[in-house]
Amino acid sequence: MNRRTTIKSLLAFGFLGASGFSIFKWADINKAPDTKFLLSKKGLIADLAETIIPVTDTPGAKDAKVEDYIITMMQKCTDIKNQNLFIDGLADVDSYSNKHYDKSFQACKPTEKTEILKHFEKKAHSFNSLIAKVEGRYLGDPFFTQLKNLTVTGYCTSQVGATKGLVYDYIPGMYNGSMPLAPHQKSWATK
Amino acid sequence: MDININTVSQNTYDAIVIGSGISGGWAAMELCKKGLKVLLLERGRNVEHVKDYPTALLNPWDFECRLQYTQKELQENPVQTKASDAGSQLFFANDKDHPYIQEKPFNWFRGYQVGGRSLTWGRQCYRWSDLDFEANLKDGNAVDWPIRYKDIAPWYDYVESFIGVSGSKQNLPHLPDGNFLPGMELNCIENHLAQSMKKSYNDRLLMIARVTNLTRGWDNRGPCQYRNLCSRGCPFGGYFSSNASTIPAAVATGNLTLRPFSVVSEIIYDDKIQKATGVRVIDTSTHEHLEFHSKIIFVNASTIPTTSLLMNSKSSRFPNGLGNDSGELGHNLMDHHSSAGATGSHDGFKDTYYKGRRPCGFLIPRYKNLKSGEKNDFLRGYNIQGTGERQGYAELAGTPGFGADFKNTITTPGPWTIWMAGWGECLPYHTNQISFDEHQKDQWGLPVVKIDFSFRENEDKMMKDIQDTCLDMLQKAGFNASKFNYNKPGGSTVHEMGTARMGRDPKTSVLNANNQLHAVKNVFVTDGSSMTSSACQNPSLTYMALTARACNYAFEQLKKGEL
Repeated sequence: MNRRTTIKSLLAFGFLGASGFSIFKWADINKAPDTKFLLSKKGLIADLAETIIPVTDTPGAKDAKVEDYIITMMQKCTDIKNQNLFIDGLADVDSYSNKHYDKSFQACKPTEKTEILKHFEKKAHSFNSLIAKVEGRYLGDPFFTQLKNLTVTGYCTSQVGATKGLVYDYIPGMYNGSMPLAPHQKSWATK
Repeated sequence: MDININTVSQNTYDAIVIGSGISGGWAAMELCKKGLKVLLLERGRNVEHVKDYPTALLNPWDFECRLQYTQKELQENPVQTKASDAGSQLFFANDKDHPYIQEKPFNWFRGYQVGGRSLTWGRQCYRWSDLDFEANLKDGNAVDWPIRYKDIAPWYDYVESFIGVSGSKQNLPHLPDGNFLPGMELNCIENHLAQSMKKSYNDRLLMIARVTNLTRGWDNRGPCQYRNLCSRGCPFGGYFSSNASTIPAAVATGNLTLRPFSVVSEIIYDDKIQKATGVRVIDTSTHEHLEFHSKIIFVNASTIPTTSLLMNSKSSRFPNGLGNDSGELGHNLMDHHSSAGATGSHDGFKDTYYKGRRPCGFLIPRYKNLKSGEKNDFLRGYNIQGTGERQGYAELAGTPGFGADFKNTITTPGPWTIWMAGWGECLPYHTNQISFDEHQKDQWGLPVVKIDFSFRENEDKMMKDIQDTCLDMLQKAGFNASKFNYNKPGGSTVHEMGTARMGRDPKTSVLNANNQLHAVKNVFVTDGSSMTSSACQNPSLTYMALTARACNYAFEQLKKGEL
């Protein structure tokens, strides 16, 4: 079953119809996730993460090996619904870039990558605002939302991200609850 | 025959203490210091201070899943995983090996190891006052406490001077001051709220939490290093735990025998002398069944296990559980609620930041129903616990967009925020209770506990009041604020109390004013199960004070030959 069709139908049916359609939705997002496909897309995941957190004056997602983190999280810490939404999303990214740019996402230029992710962000936003409130717990999180959250957490909890993208205070030894903010102060990596 | 006599003498002590958590550690230390030979029994493994804190110094990236639980762990242990993360998991009992039955949803967080939950506790220490000890009598709920503040005040002094409590004196009659180390600092947003409250209200104040995190060295421990990783065990001894404090002190007397892997199945009662003579133990490493004997027994297994043990100790004299003449054993279970509150962000103080991870927040002491005749639609009261912080990447991850600007936003300090919630008193309801399942047994052949607990109308009304007053305090201080209620089930505050309450009358209570079983004078219960009401203060300090007081009494009685 095509997820987009499902969502459209779900919208058409509104609140009353939602529970009926969830049965079909359930079958789709509760299928056994294709982890082999997930592993084969490590390079794509790295490029996607880098588009969200690029190298600037501090290291980016690739430097922090966020793709390894995302794959671990997908394999161990993600429920089946979200695994399927994420894995399907990876396939959608390449088919979208092939359709609109005639090449894979990884072959695209940075500006093209940005445009592609904007499309997926918009899609996630409409999913979130219209449907997630009704059945978010049941349907899981859309691809882009997952990608972004995983990238942020993966980056900020990595050694590279915590110590170079943020500031990491291993053993503070003291507490000062009110001090002047330094110029270009980065956030503490841990609370 | 010789062998038997030898075994009896080898297995005989002056005192047996069951449980090595916050109150059991105190009982063991006090009795050892008085010169008694003490056997301290613990159902779980040994945890030696510093040596057995393997996660304490790890970085977030040292954990494969960065402190998140796997799906498998979440499914197998739905309760354990709610209270802990991969850094502290080792100090929480798992659901799979330690089943219990939730008649209604109840989060039962357990620490089955030497030190118990003293390793992972919230470390907050607040004295009770006569407002609390008189509450049952005044509003006619449950039974009267058999003690008043004057009975326990010297023992609060005694305990505080040993454990080390940092905090500030406020001169409030309903939250008595104690012997404090310098308090930790409020941060700028918390100071702002405190100042605003001073202007807006004449009935309340905001102060730094009173905690056993040490602001200077104390008893060869600490000070706190402001890492805020307390529940992994502190290699600096920055906070009080049995492991860091009472157990080493007990060991130092030469009078302690610590026996881990020892599940106590039963307290042995001798009807001829009308006393308990010892305990039956299952060694969980060898599966041996053993007996140990002593003159006095302190039961400190934590609220639900303590009462379960008494319930399981049946004899012809006590067919419904040891000391249960009143029928109250197992009843009147309480836990604080801490679901309701408000949160908000503030546009100011953008140029101010902080350093260090303070392991506590602030407290707004109780301000409702302090005087009789106040018109509130609920009985008793609550205090507010909260914390101020600047948003970091976790809160800012939902910022729209991605790319360099987004990266800059999430790695730069966000707005100051305050989160605060009410820790509220729960009335002692007879029908909030524990019992045994008739069929199910655990891996040691002991009956599985059923917990039947719910918050009721009084707690619900109080939660509404908490939300309203929290919102008002934040709005008056210029916060963009909103209310919340997480509606967490019982047990979530990890303040289980009651089920073997103290009281004046043996017909309506299990324990007397000295925490002795009314009907079995050489058995003492000084953990949360002994509580007659819950007040709204975090209760561990009171357990410790009751324990020290009961140990002193027990020793005096022993000397007089009364026990």
